[in-house]
Amino acid sequence: MPLVRRRYKPWLIGLLIIIALFSVSRFSVGSWPMLATWPALEALHKPVQWWDSLSLWFTDSEKLQQQYLAFHKKAQQQAALIQESNALREENRQLRSILDISGITGYRWHAAKVRGRSPEKMSQRILLQVYGVSKDDVIVSSEGLVGVVDSISENHATVRTVFDASISVPVTIPGTALAALARGQGESLSIDFVPLEIAPKIGEILYTSGAGGLFPPGIAVARITEVTPIPGQLFVKVAAEPVAHWQRDNWLAVASQLHATP
Amino acid sequence: MIALSVSLIALLGMSLNLAFSASLSQPDWAMAVLLAAILAHRNNWIWVLPCAFLHDVILHWSFGSSFIVMALIPLAMIYLDKHLGPGIPQRVVIMLAAILALASWGWAIQALLLTLCLCVPVWYLLTGLYAQTTT
Repeated sequence: MPLVRRRYKPWLIGLLIIIALFSVSRFSVGSWPMLATWPALEALHKPVQWWDSLSLWFTDSEKLQQQYLAFHKKAQQQAALIQESNALREENRQLRSILDISGITGYRWHAAKVRGRSPEKMSQRILLQVYGVSKDDVIVSSEGLVGVVDSISENHATVRTVFDASISVPVTIPGTALAALARGQGESLSIDFVPLEIAPKIGEILYTSGAGGLFPPGIAVARITEVTPIPGQLFVKVAAEPVAHWQRDNWLAVASQLHATP
Repeated sequence: MIALSVSLIALLGMSLNLAFSASLSQPDWAMAVLLAAILAHRNNWIWVLPCAFLHDVILHWSFGSSFIVMALIPLAMIYLDKHLGPGIPQRVVIMLAAILALASWGWAIQALLLTLCLCVPVWYLLTGLYAQTTT
């Protein structure tokens, strides 16, 4: 019996490989590989820290004294601000109890040092050096909402920013009946379920509504950039950009829910 | 030895991308050196592809983005070398296409240009090194 050699079409094999690779690429691998890189990132940051320590040896005493006095003055100013904020917090608590409004309670706030960022123009993932946080804790910058904690190790955590499509933030505009959802679209935000009659204007800021219990209420989330009514539809198409610019922040705040165990 | 050195440089590059992406505009170090390695010698796919896989997993939390492009490069090189003969122009086109593919993952245009500027000299250097080892 003669040997029959089958001939495979190379383009068909190539196409199958492309389809297989493309389908595999759609799966998300999770944040553990980025979390595993923290020793390398710490090592890369070390020379900068050494340089800072070394440069102190060559700074003359007069300059050090000036810096000390400046820091001392700043510390005093901050102590005064803390006193003022404590007084205001107490006043706020009393006013809220009179008006029967619940405040941002049930969260513990702490600071986290940014150690690494994914390399996009506006990073979609961040690696933080932080202790005692839990998965789904909320990350906030001085400007607004950044994202949520995705995974944690002993002293590091990875963050999914609001650009991630897996995050939906319940948002509102204070003083209105708006209750919408802000969803990540990679490099922008899409605001869903905005009724035509209460559609916001371009430039308006959306805040967390607190619905769902994951995000504390009253945190700035997004600024409206585009409002497009769709004929025959109940809801308008709204695009927005995040209020926070976490690409340049070296420190971020973490809001941990008090009932959650770290 | 070349494979080990390039792989280590690629790993260092990934860490640089993560550590300093906010403070300075930088190329995709790993992609540049891995692309140069595969362009210099197509049989390098055997160690370049695992590194490209690692690059995607660490930087993009995905199983394959650059990996798909890198996996197609040796196939494209075999096909083009067979039909057009081994030559630089088709490799340059492949390099540009591979670097442009990074734009779909949100890399800035400056980063793409820097990646290109890094890839070309590394490609030249590796080609020279491979030529030395074969003679």
